Amino acid sequence: MSVKYIPVQWVPTKYVYDAVLLVCVAVYILVFLRLGTPAADFTRPVDGAILRMRAFGTCAFLMLTLILCIGPLAQLDRRFLPLLYNRRHFGVLTALVALTHAVYVLNWYYAFSPTPPLEALFYSNTSFGQFLGFPFEAFGIFALVVLGILAATSHDFWLAFLSAPVWKRLHLLIYPAYLAVVAHILLGYLQDTKNPTFALIAGAGALGVAGLHLAAWARRPEKQASQEDWVEVPHWREIADGRARIVSLGGDERAAVFRGGQKLSAVSNACAHQNGPLGEGRIIDGCITCPWHGFQYRPGDGCSPPPFTEKIPTYRLKLDGERLFIDRNGYPPGTAVEPLAIPEGALR
Amino acid sequence: MPMDILDIAGIYGLLGACVAVVFLLWGIDRVDPNARGAWTFRPLLVPGVVLIWPLVLWRWWRISRGETLGKRHRPPRLAQDYLALALALAIPVLLVAALLARQNGPYERPAVMLEGPAAEQDKSAQ
Repeated sequence: MSVKYIPVQWVPTKYVYDAVLLVCVAVYILVFLRLGTPAADFTRPVDGAILRMRAFGTCAFLMLTLILCIGPLAQLDRRFLPLLYNRRHFGVLTALVALTHAVYVLNWYYAFSPTPPLEALFYSNTSFGQFLGFPFEAFGIFALVVLGILAATSHDFWLAFLSAPVWKRLHLLIYPAYLAVVAHILLGYLQDTKNPTFALIAGAGALGVAGLHLAAWARRPEKQASQEDWVEVPHWREIADGRARIVSLGGDERAAVFRGGQKLSAVSNACAHQNGPLGEGRIIDGCITCPWHGFQYRPGDGCSPPPFTEKIPTYRLKLDGERLFIDRNGYPPGTAVEPLAIPEGALR
Repeated sequence: MPMDILDIAGIYGLLGACVAVVFLLWGIDRVDPNARGAWTFRPLLVPGVVLIWPLVLWRWWRISRGETLGKRHRPPRLAQDYLALALALAIPVLLVAALLARQNGPYERPAVMLEGPAAEQDKSAQ
């Protein structure tokens, strides 16, 4: 929040989060290597290098699967929100694990010919015209490049420099990358292995990601079909004190209607930092607090408290009898709007 | 053809490295006040600049002209929703297609005893 950049903004919870991550990855790799040999396909010799590349490859897939589950899980159940807070470190670690997998592959399958390994990787299979036998390595390369870009642009500087919408668009590449990883596994390892364990885990994980995203899709805020300036806020009486209801204003725009005591205020649902969902946050010390990284804004004008300088758009609200409406034409970021007083007895 | 891809990637990376040197030593102070005097975090930005340097140059140019992106508070929500939906629909299709295409390997096939060359010669002699 408007302070000089440092390499990593460590806080105690991030230390814990990262330590748990590292321990989990180390335990997974060690257990895989320990148990992997007897469980490996006995019709072919599986040596240490192959086992290690499989350990890191499967680990990267499972980590990516978990990362993609966190978003919809947090949408469906607030208890998963803490997992979102440090997801960028999770992503960087995933990219490093995937890179380790790729290095093992290059230094084993492509290392023993006069052709340089990278060239051999591109040359060895060019059957792009067929489904079975498709060069599944291409999917892996694409996913690795995307993971590299996302990890390399995860510092806060990139958010500020690229702007949150551009940064977000860049990071939406995670969806095609995950699909590429699934295709990489299904057309590669799954076609070859006789051991169903990982095939079942991979299928369940990928279907789990698909199911969670469908469930989150079904729980989106209701779309407002009307093109009128004033959009009705449904179920506004059920907004708990300090909490909000997210309203879709059409297109990409969403607002969060917050209740602070007996007053209602509306601001953009997108945090100025990383476009986090402010409406899933709450009012702490009189300020709307983003659930992702704790950025704060005053409900009355959408400004961060000094010395911070972030601003978000604000919206007008009006009561028409029992119904609450929001003006879909937001004010410029940081514009003061008088909070709407709730009449006595209007809340349940 | 693959050599071409590697050559292009090499040239792209080299240009990216040049952009990284200029941007991180000179340009970054002009586009972000929070970067002024902050040096320890800059090495972390090198891979990012090398990978997306055309985007870096575009943003640098826009910021130096004083242009801001108008829809900062409109994240690509719809694009994310549709991408997530497309992912959710594509995964089961891909899974079923891969399982259908999977060929049985030697493990599932019953073993067949092949006749050796000597046995074939005996047959032809008879």
